[in-house]
Amino acid sequence: MIEIRELVFEYPGHRALAGVSLTIVKNSITALVGPNGAGKTTLLRCMAALETPYSGDVTIDGLDTREAPRAIHAGLGYLPDFFGLYDALSVRRCLHYAARAHGIGAGAAAGAAEVAAGRVGLLDRMEQAAGQLSRGLRQRLAIAQTIVHQPKVLLLDEPAAGLDPKARRDLSQLLLSLRDSGMTLVVSSHILAELEDYSDRMVIVDHGRIAGGESIALKTGTRLRIVLAAPRDDLKDFLGGQGAQILEASSGQAVVSMAADAAARARLLAALVEAGFAVADFTEDTRALEDVYFAQTGRGA
Amino acid sequence: MNPELQRNLWLEASPFRLALIAGLVLLAFAAASVAPRGLATPSGTALALYWFFAVLWGTRSAALSVVAEIRERTWDSQKLSSIGPWEMVWGKLFGATAANWFGALLCLPFILLPAAHNTDLAQALVYGVILLALAVFAQGVALLSSLVLIRRNTGNWRLDTFLCQVAGVGAALTYYSLWSSVSAFRRSGTSTLDWWGHAFNLSNFHLVSLLLFLGWALVGCWRAMRAELRFANGPYVWLAYLLYSAIYSAGFESWIGPRLNLPHISSPLVTKLVLAGLTLLTSTYSMVFLEPKDPVRLRWLGEQVRNGHAYKAFLALDCWMLSYGATLVVGLVLAVSWTTNPDGALSVLAMLGFLTRDVAIFVLMRGRAGGKGDFAALAILGALYLLLPTVLTGLGLPGLGFLFLPHGIMGVIAGWGEGVAIAWLALTRIAR
Repeated sequence: MIEIRELVFEYPGHRALAGVSLTIVKNSITALVGPNGAGKTTLLRCMAALETPYSGDVTIDGLDTREAPRAIHAGLGYLPDFFGLYDALSVRRCLHYAARAHGIGAGAAAGAAEVAAGRVGLLDRMEQAAGQLSRGLRQRLAIAQTIVHQPKVLLLDEPAAGLDPKARRDLSQLLLSLRDSGMTLVVSSHILAELEDYSDRMVIVDHGRIAGGESIALKTGTRLRIVLAAPRDDLKDFLGGQGAQILEASSGQAVVSMAADAAARARLLAALVEAGFAVADFTEDTRALEDVYFAQTGRGA
Repeated sequence: MNPELQRNLWLEASPFRLALIAGLVLLAFAAASVAPRGLATPSGTALALYWFFAVLWGTRSAALSVVAEIRERTWDSQKLSSIGPWEMVWGKLFGATAANWFGALLCLPFILLPAAHNTDLAQALVYGVILLALAVFAQGVALLSSLVLIRRNTGNWRLDTFLCQVAGVGAALTYYSLWSSVSAFRRSGTSTLDWWGHAFNLSNFHLVSLLLFLGWALVGCWRAMRAELRFANGPYVWLAYLLYSAIYSAGFESWIGPRLNLPHISSPLVTKLVLAGLTLLTSTYSMVFLEPKDPVRLRWLGEQVRNGHAYKAFLALDCWMLSYGATLVVGLVLAVSWTTNPDGALSVLAMLGFLTRDVAIFVLMRGRAGGKGDFAALAILGALYLLLPTVLTGLGLPGLGFLFLPHGIMGVIAGWGEGVAIAWLALTRIAR
């Protein structure tokens, strides 16, 4: 869906992208991670045909960003890291304008606005001014504006920044539903812990290059770390009996892999407590992802 | 409806705001009608309010229609929209100023009805067209300025808005003062203007000039908006504007030439070339100051030329480069044509050398100091043209003035020597 070949982008006195090559497959979610100033935002802006690279090519669905930026814009949604809204307009008017601005006819714009609002759960806020929304709801409205025209490609720059845990969880669900509806998503993020929830692949950008030279496939499912206050030798057997895949286990703690399903996790926790295990910690384990990240970027935790 | 216009109307023309403006205008008229004789008249008040709404406040609204998008971080989403450049321009120009136009149009009948009563209907209508065109011109110049300024990425939206407002109001005041001078000319017995050897009615000439410059301002907005929306512009529209402005200014030779009465040093052709050259020179300095001169882009242009893609590079030339090229061409033709005054021809050649130096200083300083480099370049030029010649004169060395001022054969050598040296420095820095 997205082909990037030997992309070079320069700011005066600084090479932000130094020969990036990358392929992003259709109907997937790719996470862009990397330290501040690594070039993630520049890469996204080049993909969005908002910046002209010094050399190299970006093609989206067969269209070159340099040759056909407007055609690319028509099939693309982009949410910048610091986005803005028309605060004085209601949610309905914001979405109506976004629909009309993306070429949806006057007759269909109201319907498109309703559909987009429904997808992000804003239908009950349609008459509220954008300026009165909480940060999480503003984020949802901004995403609704970017998907109102049903783009094939959605680029999101740090969409989870500043969101509370519930809003982040909702965002993960939203991203998955957008992918399942046929979109190709590229999401830049600092928050490694959540990437495995929704990303199919991870691309580590460092010093304007793709660390390791290519994207990394992420496991589906969730890794959970379970720590007991009072060690028990039957922990491993018990977890095996619950259907979890045991990655490592001792009498005091275990790491298991299971489906990325909140209900399944809740059932496992309830079963542990019911069986009398003194659960001191029950958290997502991101060490593996972090290990990959730090190995590629060469930075210690 | 144009979505950009509709959004602006939602934001700018709320019923409350319009009612407030209508109430204030009516109150102002009521106060003027009961004011002591000589203090204020309804038509005078209406004219002042028209200027306030349409020009003073209108230019601010027009400038903010772009600057506020940057400030509120909504510009990227606008650039990604399907709205075309012309739709975007007129949606902003008339949408962002909707409340201003509401106030201004309320005032217009109070200006034109007394004018029709005192003169005749045709003259009042022409006056009405001038007032309307003047306001659109001022707002168009403010919008164009904002589109130029955002490319400089100053980050100071208040200053940007103010500068755009100054540009718009300045353009309107300049034209209005010229228009006002028409009646003074009439009183002195001059009712026609010679332009390219033809006598034109002064009023009509001013009106047509205003409409043409308004047209160019709108074309400028459209072109700048195209660049923002990632359309390739190409050089031809700017070249057409340069040609137009050169022809327009050269035409005044018919009016200026006989009044100068200097046949021994200047022919009509030379005067025309001087007028056209000065216009192009002004355009070069203005654009080299205003445009970004991004070193990365300049290096890319150089690579295109080196790789044999000269036409591709030509299509991507900035306005300042085209203006500089046009100035060089007209300057060289002028120097060759000025056979009656060899000193004048040498001064022109020297001036072209100093122009090359000055353009190179802007490019060099931009590469060293970013956006602030343009102001540093202005300071350097101030020192080169004012301070250093003054110091030399103070030291009793006025003979060395040729180093900094375009005069004589030494001026030609110094100008081109400095020009080539600084251009080499600038190119070396860009190539790094």
